[in-house]
Amino acid sequence: MRIDKHPILDFKRGKKIKFTFNGQEIEGYEGESIAAALHASGVKVLGESILKHRPRGFYCAIGNCSSCLMVVDGMPNVKTCITELKEGMVVETQKGKGKIV
Amino acid sequence: MISSAEIVIIGGGISGCSTAYNLAKKGVKNIAVIEKSYITSGSTGRCGAGVRMQWGTEMNCKLAKKSIEFYENANDVLEYDGDVEFKQEGYLLIASTDKEMDQFHENVKIQNKLGIPSKILTLDEAKEIVPYLNTDILTGASYCGKDGFLNPFLTTDAFYRAAKRLGVEFYTYTQVLDIKVENGRVKSVITNKGEISTNIVVNAAGGYSKVISDMVNSELPVYSERHQILVTEPVEAMQAPMVMSFSLNLYCQQTPHGSFMMGRGDNREPRDLRITSSWEFLEQMAKTITEVLPPIGKLRLIRQWAGLYNMTPDKQPIYGKVNEVEGFYLAVGFSGHGFMFGPLTGVIISEMILEEEPTIDASMLNINRFKEGNLILEPSVV
Ligand SMILES: Cc1cc2nc3c(=O)[nH]c(=O)nc-3n(C[C@H](O)[C@H](O)[C@H](O)COP(=O)(O)OP(=O)(O)OC[C@H]3O[C@@H](n4cnc5c(N)ncnc54)[C@H](O)[C@@H]3O)c2cc1C
Ligand code: FES
Repeated sequence: MRIDKHPILDFKRGKKIKFTFNGQEIEGYEGESIAAALHASGVKVLGESILKHRPRGFYCAIGNCSSCLMVVDGMPNVKTCITELKEGMVVETQKGKGKIV
Repeated sequence: MISSAEIVIIGGGISGCSTAYNLAKKGVKNIAVIEKSYITSGSTGRCGAGVRMQWGTEMNCKLAKKSIEFYENANDVLEYDGDVEFKQEGYLLIASTDKEMDQFHENVKIQNKLGIPSKILTLDEAKEIVPYLNTDILTGASYCGKDGFLNPFLTTDAFYRAAKRLGVEFYTYTQVLDIKVENGRVKSVITNKGEISTNIVVNAAGGYSKVISDMVNSELPVYSERHQILVTEPVEAMQAPMVMSFSLNLYCQQTPHGSFMMGRGDNREPRDLRITSSWEFLEQMAKTITEVLPPIGKLRLIRQWAGLYNMTPDKQPIYGKVNEVEGFYLAVGFSGHGFMFGPLTGVIISEMILEEEPTIDASMLNINRFKEGNLILEPSVV
């Protein structure tokens, strides 16, 4: 689902772009965040909690809570709710705390 | 609050708690520890909490070796319910000049002679331990796998609880305002919550040691200096040892939680009691770390804080009595490495007070060494 009309905000939809989520090709729009594009495509589980591996998803949506951390183009701990979607991005579910080496 | 005590210890950091524990274990009754804030609120709760045996003076090597042997069994000895989180995965000391490597060779000789299992490493060997180390800017390294670090809050808590079980009274959020002296002897300690008469006072006030010594008009040749630390977001375990460099001015470790904790000194710091945080530190620290350990530059910063180093002219602690007043003992001037000496600080001060045979003869760390010019400068500090 995407919001088309909003009382105070104007959504100018960019052009359609493709990216992958865990290897599967998904479409989104230029100008949206990664998490927004995933959410609109029905992907609600973005990651998992570290200790008990419970599902984690879109929560604060403003980059404060770290609920939406994913591996993007090989970089772990990317806050997908405030990171802009780019053509060809490789987005993956993060397991654990992330590896940088 | 009690009105009299056998011994009053000022300061609820690692030094004060360890001293209280050791005295109580030896059977001293009626000990009071006075802490102006909460336990570990001073330097102890703000430190890097690294413990290393790779020192340049024999005395520091001995103190560190005995303390680390203690830390290896701290949970058992202190009968701690929790875990002090001793991560014993080594210290990798890296050198960036030939002169510094010469120093490392000298240090390792002293260390090995005292039974410390440290060794000189080639740059390739160093890279085997930390593969992403930027060896282009280095000349060599030394390493001791028995060095490591602990959680300073839990470690102090273990001493605190053990001391409490042995009957030590702790008064937190209680500030020492003055110390009464009569006929050249300590008479009582005046706090904002009452007065405690006592014959023996231990100054274990960390960065505030001089403020306390001033109360009995005893001259203390120390000053305090702010040192800062930053911590990053956590990632999976990737760095076993603490990486430290004196010439590049840095130390950096990955905590069991996965975050990286790092710090450096700044010789332009004013000599006062401030513990505010600065952006200059963040900038300098980030630049240094991305040069030496490049992948860490990818991590986000979570927070920063500061604490005090209590510096002596030879960068070794001061233990023992003062000349001006009887019954006044010093456990001060740790110059940025008093956490790792904590277990021995308590042993040494308790033995001095009770006039027992010393476990380690630390008499050379008395206050008169500064006047007599008997200084043995520790070369290896950040
Ligand atoms: C950034 C930083 C990094 C460090 N890294 C390391 C390291 O890796 N390894 C290591 O071994 N050491 C390290 N140190 C040094 C170490 O923190 C100290 O040497 C050690 O904690 C000193 O312990 P202490 O108990 O003597 O002093 P503190 O922990 O400072 O305790 C003194 C206590 O006295 C209290 N006090 C002061 N005045 C009064 C008063 N008037 N009345 C009542 N109470 C009072 C204070 O509130 C304080 O809690 C570091 C220090 C800093 C700042
Ligand atoms: S949803 Fe909270 S940081 Fe992204």
